[in-house]
Amino acid sequence: MSSIHPDQITADRLASGARVESNVKYDPSTGDGSLVDTPGQRPPLVLNNRSFNDVTEIICGYVEKPQPKWWLPVFLHTFGLAQLTGLFILYLVITGIGTWGLNNQVDWAWDITNFVFWIGIGHAGTLISAILCLLKQKWRTAVNRSAEAMTIFAVICAATFPGIHIGRQWMAWFLPPLPNANAIWPNFQSPLLWDVFAVSTYGTVSALFWFMGMIPDFATLRDRADLRSRKNPSGRFVLPFVPVRVDVLQSKIYGFLALGWRFSSRHWHRYEAAYLILAGISTPLVLSVHSIVSFDFATSILPGWHTTIFPPYFVAGAIFGGFAMVLLLLIPARELYPHMKDFITKRHLENMSKIILATGMIVGFAYAMEFFIAYYSGNEYELGVFLNNRANPNKAPYWWAYWIMISCNVISPQVFWSKAMRTNPAVIFGVCILVTIGMWFERFVIIATSLHRTFLPGEWHMFWPTLVDIGIFAGSFGVFFTLFLLFLKFLPSFPIAELKAVLPQASPHHHPTNSPGQGDHGKGAH
Amino acid sequence: MSGVDQCPTTHGEKAKVQKPTAAELAAQARELPTLNGKKVWRSLDEWSDSPEFRDHIEKEFPHGAVEMHRAFTSAGTAADSDGSASDSRRDFLKIMGASMALAGVAVIPGCRRPEQKILAYGKNVPEEIIPGKPLYYATTFPRPGGGADGLVVETHEGRPTKIEGNPLHPMNRGRVGIWPLASILSLYDVDRPVEPRYNNPARKNDDKNDPDTRLRATWDDFRAWAKEHFPKHAKSGGDGGEGLAFIVDKKTSPTRDAMKARVLAAYPKAKWVAYDPAEAMGAAEGTRLAFGTPMRELYSFSVEPGKETTKVIVSIDKDFVAGGSDEIANARAFAATRRVMSTKDQMSRLYVVESGLSQTGSQADHRLRLSPSQITAFAVEFAKRVARVGGPDQDAVLAALNKIEVPANHGIDSHFLDECAADVIDAANREKTLIVAGPTQPAEVHAIVAMLNGMLGNIGKSVRYLPMGEDESDASVAKLAGLAADMNAGKVKTLVCVDANPMYAIAGDVNFKDAFEKVPATITLSTSSTETARASTWCLNGTHYLESWGDAVAHDGTISPIQPMIAPLYAPAMSEIEFLALIAGGDFAAKVDGHDLVRETWGNSFAKGNLDKVWRRALHDGVVANSAPAPQSPSLNARSVAEKATGLKIASAASGSIEIAFAVGHAHDGRFGNCSWLHELPQQGTRVVWDNPVLLSPKTAEAMGLLPKSYSVKDSSDMYTKEKYPSGRMVDVTVGGRTVKMAAWILPGMADNTAIVTLGYGRRVCGLVGDGVGFDAYPLLAASNATAGLAAVGSISKLDEWYPISSTQNHWSMENRTSIVRAVDLPAWQKWGDEKGPSGATFYRETEQLPFGERLGELGHTPPNESIYINPKNAGRKEAEAGSTFSKGPQWGMTIDLSTCTGCGACTVACQAENNIPVVGKKEVAKGREMTWIRVDRYYIGDDFNSPDAIYHQPVACVHCENAPCEVVCPVNATVHGDDGLNYMVYNRCIGTRYCANNCPYKVRRYNFFEYGKLQFNGDYMGKDILNDALPERGGVNGSNVHNKLNINLIPPRLREKIAEIERMGKNPNVSVRMRGIMEKCTYCVQRINAAKIEAKLHDMKTADGNAAIPDGMFQVACQQACPSESITFGDILDTKSKVHETRANPRSYKLLNFLNTRPRTSHMVRVSNPNHKLRAVVDDPFHGHGGGHGESHDKSHGEHAFYDRSKRHEDDGYRLSLGVLTSSTNGGRA
Repeated sequence: MSSIHPDQITADRLASGARVESNVKYDPSTGDGSLVDTPGQRPPLVLNNRSFNDVTEIICGYVEKPQPKWWLPVFLHTFGLAQLTGLFILYLVITGIGTWGLNNQVDWAWDITNFVFWIGIGHAGTLISAILCLLKQKWRTAVNRSAEAMTIFAVICAATFPGIHIGRQWMAWFLPPLPNANAIWPNFQSPLLWDVFAVSTYGTVSALFWFMGMIPDFATLRDRADLRSRKNPSGRFVLPFVPVRVDVLQSKIYGFLALGWRFSSRHWHRYEAAYLILAGISTPLVLSVHSIVSFDFATSILPGWHTTIFPPYFVAGAIFGGFAMVLLLLIPARELYPHMKDFITKRHLENMSKIILATGMIVGFAYAMEFFIAYYSGNEYELGVFLNNRANPNKAPYWWAYWIMISCNVISPQVFWSKAMRTNPAVIFGVCILVTIGMWFERFVIIATSLHRTFLPGEWHMFWPTLVDIGIFAGSFGVFFTLFLLFLKFLPSFPIAELKAVLPQASPHHHPTNSPGQGDHGKGAH
Repeated sequence: MSGVDQCPTTHGEKAKVQKPTAAELAAQARELPTLNGKKVWRSLDEWSDSPEFRDHIEKEFPHGAVEMHRAFTSAGTAADSDGSASDSRRDFLKIMGASMALAGVAVIPGCRRPEQKILAYGKNVPEEIIPGKPLYYATTFPRPGGGADGLVVETHEGRPTKIEGNPLHPMNRGRVGIWPLASILSLYDVDRPVEPRYNNPARKNDDKNDPDTRLRATWDDFRAWAKEHFPKHAKSGGDGGEGLAFIVDKKTSPTRDAMKARVLAAYPKAKWVAYDPAEAMGAAEGTRLAFGTPMRELYSFSVEPGKETTKVIVSIDKDFVAGGSDEIANARAFAATRRVMSTKDQMSRLYVVESGLSQTGSQADHRLRLSPSQITAFAVEFAKRVARVGGPDQDAVLAALNKIEVPANHGIDSHFLDECAADVIDAANREKTLIVAGPTQPAEVHAIVAMLNGMLGNIGKSVRYLPMGEDESDASVAKLAGLAADMNAGKVKTLVCVDANPMYAIAGDVNFKDAFEKVPATITLSTSSTETARASTWCLNGTHYLESWGDAVAHDGTISPIQPMIAPLYAPAMSEIEFLALIAGGDFAAKVDGHDLVRETWGNSFAKGNLDKVWRRALHDGVVANSAPAPQSPSLNARSVAEKATGLKIASAASGSIEIAFAVGHAHDGRFGNCSWLHELPQQGTRVVWDNPVLLSPKTAEAMGLLPKSYSVKDSSDMYTKEKYPSGRMVDVTVGGRTVKMAAWILPGMADNTAIVTLGYGRRVCGLVGDGVGFDAYPLLAASNATAGLAAVGSISKLDEWYPISSTQNHWSMENRTSIVRAVDLPAWQKWGDEKGPSGATFYRETEQLPFGERLGELGHTPPNESIYINPKNAGRKEAEAGSTFSKGPQWGMTIDLSTCTGCGACTVACQAENNIPVVGKKEVAKGREMTWIRVDRYYIGDDFNSPDAIYHQPVACVHCENAPCEVVCPVNATVHGDDGLNYMVYNRCIGTRYCANNCPYKVRRYNFFEYGKLQFNGDYMGKDILNDALPERGGVNGSNVHNKLNINLIPPRLREKIAEIERMGKNPNVSVRMRGIMEKCTYCVQRINAAKIEAKLHDMKTADGNAAIPDGMFQVACQQACPSESITFGDILDTKSKVHETRANPRSYKLLNFLNTRPRTSHMVRVSNPNHKLRAVVDDPFHGHGGGHGESHDKSHGEHAFYDRSKRHEDDGYRLSLGVLTSSTNGGRA
């Protein structure tokens, strides 16, 4: 075993390169953190030779300093969009499900499409935080907090849809097994009930995991706010007419959220253990949630739904779509927030692109297998769905949806075979947009195109979305982005302690003499 | 409602109306301006809209509630004369706006659980009533235009709720068609005239929204007016009736005839027209030619008594199973000739020559599409061939027939003609044939057909005759045209219309509107809101037939009584006979009583001497026993008939013109215009609802450039499916210089160069439901059409406008899924029917030998689904295992015979009535949200969709799967299985996830997307704007504007319920009305099953082995009960003596989509047709010759080529259609 941490070689080289630029050749392929071909060398996970103090200052700065100029206008827009969804939902509840374009043949369309879409997006966060944690993938530290936040927000968006899609929304409490006047248990055979359990468990565990990871960072924010309020007792008020000082309020709130965290070794010890346990609990959930969501379809007898391939295919699809959404959020964020590129390097982008490529291929394989099995089964209804409801432009009214799905999900990720492409944020962003569109259409194709033409041609009918369908879907993006912007504004968007742990300085083999950051030991956290 | 007359057998003693005391009256009275300026007290009984309610809401919302109530209940007809009505709608909106703003989100009414209320009894509860138990009374539905159906009406607590057929009535024998079923809606029609109105010509009203100038009046006002008016026409001192004219509804009724005699006795010179605007007098005139006197035809399909044995039936454009006064009897008897239960059974063969696509046509073994003039030519050519049958007159007849000029290029397939005629004159079929002619054909064709029947020896066997009554045989349209001329000439001073609506339903070449205005005094007694009633000087409220006494004569001459089920809802009111008696009596203060009038008539005629006995018996049985005269078999001189028919002219359409055939639709002549069930019942062939587009064949539509927007050559059977709201192109239809703007729609299987125009739509003053539904096609009709055949030559020019049209089934093809409707030819059934398959499906590692019906489907070659889930009610996984729940009776099941289903839709309407199924309106249907629990799927079969080889009808309702896919997926246990095999739907448990509907392979579950059940249909239909342009005169004439605009969910539930207070009286109290957001579906009429169960228990009915049992036939489900062709059987499948056990075990039975392992309790029976092998190849082996491969088994060679009809292909050879095939296989269409 090498006595020197592999990252350190590069770090040292970069450090010297950064310091004495005229003498040392700067390696452009590693300077942005992207992977090099030399197996022994890895770029650092945090660029620009950041000290512990830098990490704390930068990350806490996102919360403490004023947001960039673009933040408020963007927030107002997304918030407006979120209001829209509220109004549309209100209208829906007052007037009835008929305000959607559903009918007696297509009884689910955008509602469940959006549900599966959002719940799929919610997969990346837990995959990054749990599975990658267990696999000791250190690069996860830079993205796990925001990915987890995204998961929570996506689950919130997702959970809205099953809640409002039922005909009598005020009776939604019939779903959980509560003792009630009817004295009837819910039907434990129904995949919809499994959904209730799966999604609520997933949401709860993800939220706990997310929150627990933030506790030390809340403590850091608390302490810093407390210090500020002591240093400067005449700080800003929250609002002109509210006699509460911002710093005091922050220290109170973050203090409450920090649950009395004191950075003691015992705390850290318990924290590490709990984190590992939660990672262990979450890992099967990553696989189970979308498997169970896929059971909504797979347990039915409808051609196009009744497929055993669904659980793995849905999980792969969810990771695929989820990573695309993580990248959609992080690529603009690292451009727009100061110094964020130091933490989210091209190496991160590249890794995630590779996951997108891999899961995209799995999804593509699943598409092909579905088709093959439909043909091979000799079941005319099954083949009818794949050929005449989906793929055949001469017969299928929704053929375009199917081909959008194929081109976005199978074809577009293929550009990631090229290193130049998968390290180019603009390209990645573009592909991620396509993948997100493609994954939405995947769910639409599965749900609507299977339903609109089933067994008996006498009951075939098209689905056409209404303004309310579109409004609620668009609004769910508003909710999602609003929550994410609030997250960036108010919560520590990176795990400070974990990031410090992947700094070269944190390595036990780190030579302080080579590093200007030697003096940082022990002071960065506070 | 008060004073319910509930006892039909109390010698007509009407239950006494509870009179309020004077003090009560004084407390309730309001000031009402009336004709003579006097203030009158109005009794409680006159107030239809429940004064308690008004008082109640006035206490709660002292001022505004009244506005609201008025805006909803009386915007249509009952506008106030004090001018406040015009403001009420605006006021209402103001109030609503303000209260919504104040109420805010906290009291969103949509979230509230609506309160349930029932209508309580009045103070007097009739003796027989056991609360909760319905009473059944016999009465009669007088058919429009003559004829009658015997009814048994279910009444709940004095409210009639459901119309059922009277099993003792010889014509309908317990079955009912759509019109009687739906007539209950017109009883509870909120737009009915509720009180007399006087149209004061001096009064001006500039209100655009309600240009009504009429004053509210009372019957006393009318009586006072009439007392002064009618002496002008009296015999002594008046003109003797010279200036008096009567237009009454054409019907057959002894008492009405007696009243006519009274009227004509009192006013000898009065003119009398018994009017049927859509009448076709060809048959009457044709029999007049043939026999010298107009005769009514009585088909029997039965050569030997009691056995339906007619072998060959040729229909020359006659839809004998639908529309006529003998439709039910014909449907039943014809079905009996088609129902093959064993491989030995005989089956009739039906040839149909027609322009449109009728129910009869869909049953045809061989069908020829011809335009009306071609059909006339066909009749002549056919007669020439059939006349060779022999007999003394053969040569003379042939010589006479040859004199008729038949266009040389008539375009009729001579092969068809030859073989059809050969089949008819085949010695083996002699005297077992029947030839019938229809309404588009002129009298001569009917005479020729009578002659042919005579020559073939059918008269007295398959067809017999009854003389027609005087009114019935009158060509009333022509007579009315004469009357209109008199009116125009100013000769008519007083016009009395009784339940007739000539202001709307009038041939276009009769200038009736101007004529009407020239009559100084017009009096209309009407049960419903009509254009004539609106325009009349006096509009009087009539009683519905369920509220009045009367009688009617059925098609076969049977007399049956009409007795009231309920006291008139809007009393005082008069029935037709009472009103005529009042006028004839001359004493306008006299009390007239329909009950006495009917008894008097009967006592003077057939019941002379023993009136009481006959009367009592008739009221109980619903028919007058043995009142039908013996049918006649008049002899006929073929030679002279043929010579009389030589005057026949065959006018074919010149190039550039198109032949137009007139048809009567669901609204009949327009009288059912305000009946939402009928509007929402899908129409034959098109499955269009709420409209009457002009129908064209695909080829004709293409030639005229009228293909729909979404048309694509890629998939022609999808013509209308790819648009959100399918639209037809607007066209100008012109006949004889009269133009009507209509939308065009394509109907595959119609004759080319022919348009079908349906009458009875486009009503202008009808009510909330019917105003402006469809297009008024009457202007196209000419007065001469009634006798010359309901067809004309006209032209169609396209407009640059589109009109949305809703159809429940826009997809035309069965997509080669031949196992859905399984159909074979008779020889195949005879050869293979008794044989079980050599090997069949493997279920759970056991190979089953499949019976005939199942061998035809997927189970023969598709691996069936297997479930890992063990059904707790039957662990055996196959047929009920001994000891399992499903092995213990009763276990309910149903069988639907596709051989005999004509697609009439009676099952749908009966189900709607029985189960309180709401209508949803045109727009909702376009979205695919119709609520019917039983639907009839229609498929076109064949290679060429311009000329489909066959049309299949398949009724589908919930099949009550034993392994129900819907049950496992419901998260809240809202749909569960009963021990008797029913798939229950628990409404109050349902939260509406709709997963069950998704997982239902039959797609029979229906979801309440909006509050359909509790709200009355709110008139929100598409195309109203276009229609307003097309019919400017109707603009806002009758107000459904509020209903159109307002989100009804924003009305507080308590007030919302009041909107439909009258309509709610018609609901079946044994079936809950579903609220929005929940799923519903066929329950196998569980309320009837439970009623029978209780009854069986009370009477301790037991089987031989001591188990409680419901004997087969103790009750019927609603669809089964209505089905005219008796295609539906229902019962206990474990009861080996039950009919359903027999039909289920029949090899023709198959279970739809059974390879899914759903194990349906409803099975369908293979459709068998009996083709003539000389006209097309008959397939006698449906199992072999399709290659035997699995994946490949569904190309064209399988099944469908059985319906490949050479003669029809030949017909189209001159024209190669660029449209793709109807049933294209998976690789796209044929080029």
